[in-house]
Amino acid sequence: MKILFLGAGAVGGYWAARLAQAGLDVTCLLREKRAETVRKDGLVVKSPKGDFSQPVKVVTKGTDGGPYDVIVLACKGYDLPSAMDAIAPAVGANTTIVPILNGHMHFATLDARFGKNKVAGGLARIGGMLGPNGEILHSGASGVSFGERDGKPARAALVELDAACKKAGIVGGLNANINQDLWDKWIMLGAIAGMCSAMRGTVGDIAASEDGAAIMAEALDECRKVAAAEGYPPSDKVVGAIRASLTQKGGKSVASILGDIEKGGAVEGKQIVGDMLARARQHGLAAPTLRFAYAHLQTYEARRARGGLK
Amino acid sequence: MKTLILGAGAIGGYIGGRLQQSGADVTFLVRPARREALAKNGLVIKSPKGDVTQKVKTVLKGGEGGPYDIVLLTNKAYDMESAIEAIAPAISLNTAIVPLLNGMNHLDVLDAKFGAGHVAGGVARIGVALSPEGEIRHTSPFAAFSVGERGGKPARPALIEFADAIKKAGLDGGLHENIVQDLWDKWVFLCTLAALCCLMRGTSGDILAAEEGQAIVLETLEECRKVAAASGFDPSAQGLGFARQSLSQKGSLFAASMLHDLEKGAMVEADHVVGDMIARGKKAGVATPNLRLAYAHLQVYLARRARGGIGKPAL
Repeated sequence: MKILFLGAGAVGGYWAARLAQAGLDVTCLLREKRAETVRKDGLVVKSPKGDFSQPVKVVTKGTDGGPYDVIVLACKGYDLPSAMDAIAPAVGANTTIVPILNGHMHFATLDARFGKNKVAGGLARIGGMLGPNGEILHSGASGVSFGERDGKPARAALVELDAACKKAGIVGGLNANINQDLWDKWIMLGAIAGMCSAMRGTVGDIAASEDGAAIMAEALDECRKVAAAEGYPPSDKVVGAIRASLTQKGGKSVASILGDIEKGGAVEGKQIVGDMLARARQHGLAAPTLRFAYAHLQTYEARRARGGLK
Repeated sequence: MKTLILGAGAIGGYIGGRLQQSGADVTFLVRPARREALAKNGLVIKSPKGDVTQKVKTVLKGGEGGPYDIVLLTNKAYDMESAIEAIAPAISLNTAIVPLLNGMNHLDVLDAKFGAGHVAGGVARIGVALSPEGEIRHTSPFAAFSVGERGGKPARPALIEFADAIKKAGLDGGLHENIVQDLWDKWVFLCTLAALCCLMRGTSGDILAAEEGQAIVLETLEECRKVAAASGFDPSAQGLGFARQSLSQKGSLFAASMLHDLEKGAMVEADHVVGDMIARGKKAGVATPNLRLAYAHLQVYLARRARGGIGKPAL
């Protein structure tokens, strides 16, 4: 089985490195500059599970090295149009695309471009960021989840990808209920990303304010109601665990979007918060907290667009 | 008439400088470093209304140079405790304290300490900052200072004289018959502006660029108006119209100074400007959901600041 990863960021890069380490046929489709570094040094991973450098095959064009059975698309939502252009030549008749993006907006876009049957569901729970020299700073969690969105038995490529992940020691893998898992992740992300942005602090900073934990719980509940209205109500156990971790006093957790904001970078405001709010409205649900979070993110984007971030 | 001004910061330095320029007897109560700088460089005002550098009288203790007819407070609300301590020796039988602070809560604090009879009302409307070099940089086209008795009493002679000095100095404002209403009018506007600039981390124009920015601005202003009305000081239609208009300018770079404080990692008047509005709303049965989020934002900022997390990456 041939697997193509678009990009080699913290999530895709870690996953690719582990699969390659386990002997799988992995190729990374990279921009020229990143390609040069990875060709020279391999994928450099610093991880609590052990540091390593892993050589991988590198291409800079989607036309090279194919056909691929699986393409893992781990880009930011705002880069999706250029990511689709990049992988388009690599998508053959039997290719399965596994997108690892936040939220749900990307599915409609990918389906329209490549056909629904080519697009599986996927998500990653890999914590980390890229270091200054492009090294993958892995922070511990390393789970992935993918599967058929229509609930049918998984196609051969996904079954094979599952076996590959198991061989590489990656937790998770094939998930018969990927849609539920995507919603479970999104409600968590909607709440933490929305609130860490709007409050400009970590979970612990937010919990230190009088109403902070209550506001976080309200945001989560707004997301939960949207998921339920969409047909994917999270279990009480899932909601309880998310609530506990997002309202933890002294909690060090923080959404990566806050890091992006503080660097003056682009943010997935629309994908993570705006689309959740839009769906709440479609279902006639009140989402006052998400409304403020999205207004905050849009204010940030307006200020960024005018060059007004200090 | 002798006036003592606590500090020679942006607002106190500006009004004190202008008063002295027009012949008023003004003394600044300052810390030793500020005294030294003032002795060396004078009090420097840079303003669209004219630049001026003057020698000024300074004292290091409230007990020096008195008795004073007027003691002007222009400190931040979170410095109230040390401000009270500093001016206490300067307050004699006939001294009127004129606080030019935002919000309302400082009046209760001063009343409790000095007795309501000593405490007049005052409102400053000016855009001014202290530069790193210690210069007073006046940036707004306006500079208005209103003073008056609270509770509608006739003004005491010292206050009348002080209001005349304000006029003589070419400043706008002067004696106000309903200074408490004026305080509320300013607070309603400022609370809306500060709450939203901080919660959204942008200028009024940036906020309006968000889809629901305008709606959020108007709702928040209405929350503040309702609290003022429930407290017996419903802003005039004219005042509200002005607030609504100045908060609705697309593309405006106008922002609350509290936002600049946040971005510098400085202390903020969160409790005084936003928290107290919420508390008064609660007491009067007025819901303030937008202010609640803004206040949470400010408290999160203060929590992060307290742990030394400002200016360091969140991740």
